[in-house]
Amino acid sequence: MTSLALMGLLPPGIELRAGSIRLEGRELTPDLAEGRTPREVTMIFQHPRGALNPTMRVGRQVARVLRINQGLGASEAKEVAVDLLSRVGIPGAERVARAYPHQLSGGMCQRVMIAMALGCRPKVLIADEPTTALDVTIQAQIFDLIRDLVAETSCGVVFITHDLAAVAEMCDRVVVLYGGQVMEQASTVDLFERPSHPYTRYLLESVEREVDPHIEEKDVDFGLPGCRFAHRCSEVFDRCVEFPPQFDVGDGHTSACFRHAEENSVAS
Amino acid sequence: MRRYLIKRAGISVMTMLGIVIVVFFIVRVLPGDAAAVRAGPYATAEKIAQIRAKYGLDRPLWEQFVDYLAGVARGDFGVSVRTDQPVLGELLSRLPASLELAVYSVLVATVIGVPFGIVAAARQGTWVDVVARVFAILGSSMALFWLGLLMIYFFFFRLGWFPGPVDRLAVGTPPPPTVTGFYTIDGALAGQWEVVAMAFRFLALPVLTLGFVLAAPILKMVRSSVIETLASDYVRTARAMGVSPRTVLFVDGFRNALLPVTTTIGIVFGYMLGGNIIVEYLFSWPGVGRYAYEAIQTNDLEALQGFVIMVGILYVALNVVIDLGYALIDPRIRLGRKVTA
Amino acid sequence: MSQSVSWELPSSAEPGRLARWSAELRKRPLLAVGVALLFAYLVLAVVGPAVTVDPLRTDPANQLLPPSAAHPFGTDEFGRDVFARAVAAARLDLWIGLVIAVVSMVVGSVIGVVAGYWGGRVDEVIMRLTDVLLAFPGFVLALILVAAMGDSVPNVIVAVSVSFLPHFIRLTRAEALQQREMEYVDGARLAGNPPWRVAFRHVMPNSLGPAAVQATLVAGWAILTVAGLAFLGVGIRPPTPEWGVMVAEGANDVITGEWWTALFPGGMIVLAVMAFHFVGDELGGGRV
Repeated sequence: MTSLALMGLLPPGIELRAGSIRLEGRELTPDLAEGRTPREVTMIFQHPRGALNPTMRVGRQVARVLRINQGLGASEAKEVAVDLLSRVGIPGAERVARAYPHQLSGGMCQRVMIAMALGCRPKVLIADEPTTALDVTIQAQIFDLIRDLVAETSCGVVFITHDLAAVAEMCDRVVVLYGGQVMEQASTVDLFERPSHPYTRYLLESVEREVDPHIEEKDVDFGLPGCRFAHRCSEVFDRCVEFPPQFDVGDGHTSACFRHAEENSVAS
Repeated sequence: MRRYLIKRAGISVMTMLGIVIVVFFIVRVLPGDAAAVRAGPYATAEKIAQIRAKYGLDRPLWEQFVDYLAGVARGDFGVSVRTDQPVLGELLSRLPASLELAVYSVLVATVIGVPFGIVAAARQGTWVDVVARVFAILGSSMALFWLGLLMIYFFFFRLGWFPGPVDRLAVGTPPPPTVTGFYTIDGALAGQWEVVAMAFRFLALPVLTLGFVLAAPILKMVRSSVIETLASDYVRTARAMGVSPRTVLFVDGFRNALLPVTTTIGIVFGYMLGGNIIVEYLFSWPGVGRYAYEAIQTNDLEALQGFVIMVGILYVALNVVIDLGYALIDPRIRLGRKVTA
Repeated sequence: MSQSVSWELPSSAEPGRLARWSAELRKRPLLAVGVALLFAYLVLAVVGPAVTVDPLRTDPANQLLPPSAAHPFGTDEFGRDVFARAVAAARLDLWIGLVIAVVSMVVGSVIGVVAGYWGGRVDEVIMRLTDVLLAFPGFVLALILVAAMGDSVPNVIVAVSVSFLPHFIRLTRAEALQQREMEYVDGARLAGNPPWRVAFRHVMPNSLGPAAVQATLVAGWAILTVAGLAFLGVGIRPPTPEWGVMVAEGANDVITGEWWTALFPGGMIVLAVMAFHFVGDELGGGRV
């Protein structure tokens, strides 16, 4: 939702109230919210096949992005589009450019979408669970592709996922979110070594072994103040009804849990 | 694609056969004494017997049916009781007048319904949307004969802008040489511009009446399918890549919304084939609907049956055309399954 | 889709049914307008004929009088009071419309449940027949049925009901197909209920929702169809006070400027159909 807001793609009826996004020290919010081009931040989505227009040839969809964001002419955009498609590892790009999304596999569609994103020449690419709908083998290929492209174009990636393995493989820094609240922030290595927030620990444990039976599955109640994870947390105590600030736990690692305040006061 | 077409054609032929059977059942079996109905309420027993013999109504039912089926297959829809002319010939000579009315009405309905529907979808929940919704309800609750009379009262009697409900052209004006049967087109082909202008003036009121009513379902369908496409994942992608809202609305939104809308326009056109009995009667329009009206007034069941079969068959044929149009717009049908797995 | 989500907080006192109804109506003005209109028509149809003058009495001295206090809708070419006739017609038309809606819904739903629940060959035959009926515009189907059966109110009801059958068959069939897969159906079957009992006691009541909404709209369209037929001189004949008959009788007056004989009864048709539409549209969630 945050990234949709940032892209100016909120569904009708929801509006942006507060917050700002800065890139290289410049305020981006109004530009993005109003859909101004060229896009410095762009986004790729899950379910790649549904995310492409079913009645438009994929080559045209890529070319259209090029015309809008790079100001290319129609024929030039067409050539560059084919180039881009082969750059994202599509064999026989000429032929695929003339295909419709339903004729391509999910992995192929995701490559097309990445090609479109590249066509924006973004400084930041938001990838919203780009591989959840794909086979494991294809996932690995898409990860490799994104990594290569990042190295090539020096563009930043915001990777949204539930898959901790993907996090370990792809990311430098992690922000753990629960119910829209930031729970914990750290470098990837630090997070896996020293998970500080109860939710993060719960998340990591859930991969390793069976889940603690005391933590039952519940819907997030957005109506309540305080820590959103509180009603499922096994370490919940009376301060959790307040909104938790980020506590610094060292090395640029922060965690939003009042337990840290308790520990600190005990230690000092 | 080819298999799809064959299957489609097969179903259509079956439906057409079903139409013929149903109409036969309704007209020959349902009335009890079919000859008495044909002869009318004041006929003598003699006259009834005479009609029974003339139309073969005294023979066994299955024999009648086989004859009748063979006749329809040959294009023989029987002979009108009222005019003593072959029904099919009379219908065909009147069809162009009905088609001209239908084409312009659906055109007007589309011109009103499509843009209005798109705007209502794009401005969901605003006053434009409310106006669109009330317009749609008004259109689908409208009685054609009432709206037609309202039009006649205001635009003919009160304002005198358009001619009264008499015919396709003013009395004494010879129609243009027949090419298509559409006076507006034939007139233009013959260079008779004053005839073209007159034809349009006579078309205006019935076309506006039908166009208003037919715009309602088109508007509703356009609105709901544009809303649906605008909420789709691919529209979100296009927006994320910087495609402007306007382009998304008119290129992505409209093209994909076109599929259900085509169907609706087709259904509306099909509805026209029968719905215009009322309008053709009201405006004295010499088409097949008016023919059906005259047949009703004189208990001419042969003629009425011919009209109903023709309407049914045209409707089925129209549905095939719609499906083909659908296939042309939607690459998923046109090109079938995937290239690469 | 566009509906706003409202959070209903539990209130201390549970409001009565009447209060809840009126709250619902305040929130949805179109529904309120529809219900109010239908109520007005109902009152008119029930009480009206007792208050107005005789709708059939002719009065050669007072032909084609414009609307006035004595004759709110004016008089027609025979000097009959148009208002009295329109009110008498309300009784007939509303009654016919409702009967048609109920008959076509009940018959159509039974057929639809049979097709959807039993499936297979039965379903195949029913659906092909439905396709054939759908190949005619409904109005034309009703027209030829009445033409073949002869003019009378029962015949009109049968004919127009048949023309609306396919809608109900399709709706309930689709619904029954879904319901068939539900676990409660397995439960009913395991409890030893015979198939017909499962179909009609368990599946059918749960498949009627969309059909009931549709029936509200059909009541309106049925009035439109009946009046349209009568306008063409089919089904209900003059001098019966019926809206379509009245419009047909008054059609020629309009061309000479005596608009009230046709436009008042016609307007009453449109308003009645709209009322049904407002209600049906709102009950169907504005998507119909």
